[in-house]
Amino acid sequence: MTGTTAQKAPEARSPAREAWRMYRRNLPAVAGAIILLAIIGATLYGTFFYGGDPFEIVWAPHEAPGATPEFPLGTDYLGRDIVAGLLTGGGPTLAVGAAAALITMIIGVSLGALAGYYGGWLDNLLMRFTEFFQVLPALLFAMVLITLFSPSLWTIAIAIGVVSWPQTARLTRAEFLKIKELEYVTAARAIGAKNGRIIWKVILPNAAPPLIVSATLTIGVAILFEAGLSFLGLGDPNQMSWGLMIGANREYILDAWWPVTFPGLAIFLTVFAVSLVGDGLNDAFNPKLRER
Amino acid sequence: MTFSILLKRLGYGVLLMLGVVVLNFLLIRLAPGDPAMVIAGEMGGATEEMLSSIRAEYGLDQPVLTQLWIYISNVATGDLGQSYFFNQSVTSLIAQRIGPTILLVLVAQLLSILLGVFMGVIAARRPNGPISAFVSVFATVGYAVPVFWTGIMLIIFFASVFPIFPVEGMASIRMRNAAWYMQWLDIAHHLVLPAVTLAIIYLAQYARLSRASMMEVLGSDYIRTARAKGAGERAVLFRHALRNAALPILTVAGLQFGNLISGALLVETVFNWPGMGRLAFDSILRRDYPTIMGVLFFASMMVVVANILTDLSYRLADPRLRGKG
Amino acid sequence: MTALLEIEDLRVTFNTRHGQVTALDSVSLHVNEGETLGVVGESGCGKSITALSVMGLIPSPPGRIAGGEIRLDGENLVGASDKRLRRLRGAEAAMIFQEPMTSLNPVFTVGEQIAEAIMLHQKVSHDRAFRDAIELLDRVGIPSPESRARDYPHQLSGGMRQRVMIAMAVSCRPRVLIADEPTTALDVTVQAQIFDLLNEIQRDFGAAIVLITHDMGAISEMADRVAVMYAGRVIEEASADNVLDHPLHPYARGLIDCIPALGREETDLKEIPGVVPPLHLLGEGCAFADRCAHCEPRCLREKPRLVTHGNHPAAHPAACHGVEEGRI
Repeated sequence: MTGTTAQKAPEARSPAREAWRMYRRNLPAVAGAIILLAIIGATLYGTFFYGGDPFEIVWAPHEAPGATPEFPLGTDYLGRDIVAGLLTGGGPTLAVGAAAALITMIIGVSLGALAGYYGGWLDNLLMRFTEFFQVLPALLFAMVLITLFSPSLWTIAIAIGVVSWPQTARLTRAEFLKIKELEYVTAARAIGAKNGRIIWKVILPNAAPPLIVSATLTIGVAILFEAGLSFLGLGDPNQMSWGLMIGANREYILDAWWPVTFPGLAIFLTVFAVSLVGDGLNDAFNPKLRER
Repeated sequence: MTFSILLKRLGYGVLLMLGVVVLNFLLIRLAPGDPAMVIAGEMGGATEEMLSSIRAEYGLDQPVLTQLWIYISNVATGDLGQSYFFNQSVTSLIAQRIGPTILLVLVAQLLSILLGVFMGVIAARRPNGPISAFVSVFATVGYAVPVFWTGIMLIIFFASVFPIFPVEGMASIRMRNAAWYMQWLDIAHHLVLPAVTLAIIYLAQYARLSRASMMEVLGSDYIRTARAKGAGERAVLFRHALRNAALPILTVAGLQFGNLISGALLVETVFNWPGMGRLAFDSILRRDYPTIMGVLFFASMMVVVANILTDLSYRLADPRLRGKG
Repeated sequence: MTALLEIEDLRVTFNTRHGQVTALDSVSLHVNEGETLGVVGESGCGKSITALSVMGLIPSPPGRIAGGEIRLDGENLVGASDKRLRRLRGAEAAMIFQEPMTSLNPVFTVGEQIAEAIMLHQKVSHDRAFRDAIELLDRVGIPSPESRARDYPHQLSGGMRQRVMIAMAVSCRPRVLIADEPTTALDVTVQAQIFDLLNEIQRDFGAAIVLITHDMGAISEMADRVAVMYAGRVIEEASADNVLDHPLHPYARGLIDCIPALGREETDLKEIPGVVPPLHLLGEGCAFADRCAHCEPRCLREKPRLVTHGNHPAAHPAACHGVEEGRI
């Protein structure tokens, strides 16, 4: 077996180190990562320092930001503290975003890998299936699923995953189609590696860079999805979330701009940071593109 | 030649729609609880009489395959069931709402493609110039802004700071008896903010995409040929390059259509635009499943039709694809 | 008599990530009316950059004409306005490119593309231009030009496409026709047809042709005069017969040894060892020194100038110390 080392699969570790070096030098990407870490930190530990129940009515309604030092960003239409809402509302959004992205990747990568690797009728069948899912307007389909199976963080994450995987599947399939023709895959097959092993240990690691980038961007899309669903009132009613804050205060936007503005900024900043990280990873994995 | 391709695409479209119908059926069956209750909607007021009439209509006491057959043949004759909340047939409910949605979606799509492609073309001329930088930043920002929030921000701005556009609904009541062109102008006036809101996200994406696509095309040999002929910069950009760069843009425009409808759903809710999105929102709040499923059916149909049109326009734009299955 | 196209001391630089490199270094060439000048050399030696400079098509940035003059009929094109250049391009000077497969726009019919070239320079109606295009297609030997004019590039073979390119290039009867490796991408039999066509076109239209090629065989078939280029410089120049029969520069000799002769197996062909050095690695001396069998210490120190050495009847300009010293 050692006789064929000349055509070994490229080492997975050193490109990762190379990518990390590229990433570190990319200012927007580093800024995105820092913002994202700060937001995650604030949603995890913020309430620990700030305290406060986001559902509790603590003051007069529609107190403007800065008017009372106790409530720096003011209160909403019921007199609930907006800072408390922001700090607790990020948790569900981020958790659902991450879980939904994970589900998306699991479904998308599995189906895409099978279609791309085996080809033939299986590919045909899976791609028709994918096309079918792309016909359904994602948000509407997710709304239907959530309404049928009653909203909780898990149903929301699953619903978002179920409607978002087709793009990942297409990407994975394209990568597999490309990589399975390369010499080291042929070599692995020549030494008798089983299909499962080739898919998992040979092709997948080499398809990882674009999939990692896509996973990152999927988190961003999933966060926007969760926000949209909560805004429509389809989120978990027992959890404060940024989308819910906007939805709940929607009727009063002409009386008070702040209860809707700050949660929206929070969503924007989070997704913006995620996409900066995604772009940064993309550039880090494609150093040739950057040099031009 | 082209006709047989159209037939083939239509046939595939019908097959996809059949898939949507089966999915609708499965969703009702898979939902927890008695399907008849689900169809009646959980308004608490479903009488035993109503439930038994639903059971009879949908054949719920018969084998599953028979039920599926009944459902499919009902849909095929245009019968998507009865909305027990609105007390109307789902088809007629949607017939009232589909026009405004199509109007909103098409105008937003057109706006975002035209402006986005224009920005992308200008940016591609100077890949390191200020417009290019703006397009990149704008694209990242546009992608990250929740569409419903953009809408709300625009409402706040245009309602309180700069009240030149109506922020709600599709028509003014005072225009009800005005001349038809005044009514159309009124609708256009109402359309501005929702369409702009919806267009912004996609505008950014089209700008980024067409910038990349144009940059690739501008490096190709036939662009050099066009310049060698003595063609001016504008002819090179908009005649020679754009026709080629438009191909990937068209592909994305087709794929984007489903997302656009999802976005329209949120935008209609924010601006009280009387379309299918608003209907979906209302019927979901009331758990009016026949209506929800009807909206899902028609929204999917819009995507299928859009895909067929994209495919045809793709063949029109790229002569190499003409006549290929 | 002044030449129709004169290039004098042309210097073109490119900004690359290795810093600024000189792609053309004091290149001087000229072509007379009705004459064919062959510009020969391996890829990367500056032939195409020379051609693009004449057309004003050097991609800028990163490229820049840093010095010298290009005179068409006495008018200096270096520093001419974009508008002026655009009017000249296609009308006074036209170009045929190497890749007929990719040089035609895939979304327009070939008739349309030729008609466009006509309409850009002549005030004629679209119908008239299209009819002229059909005539031109007929002229360049495309069968049933009426229907071919309505074909898209992908429906034509490589040879046909190159004929279309030629029809487009001569559509406005340019005075200078630059053909950049016009047959490289084509079959051998088609190559001969294209050369015949170019010769015919030259007879009919009286254009001066600049034929850029790496193929000495093409030179012997087409050119009246030859300029041999290496690493951005002209290193030998004379009449075609003179260069083919009495090459002086070791590089020119190497190129001629590469010409396949009848009955000789391809594998017997000599090759010049090594490759053209990357422009950013050019040193003080002769650019060919490291591939040259006759390299002496002086060659590494001093750049040879393009001058005629000796007074032999076949003597002609060559940039080589060895030739100057009578070693070669």
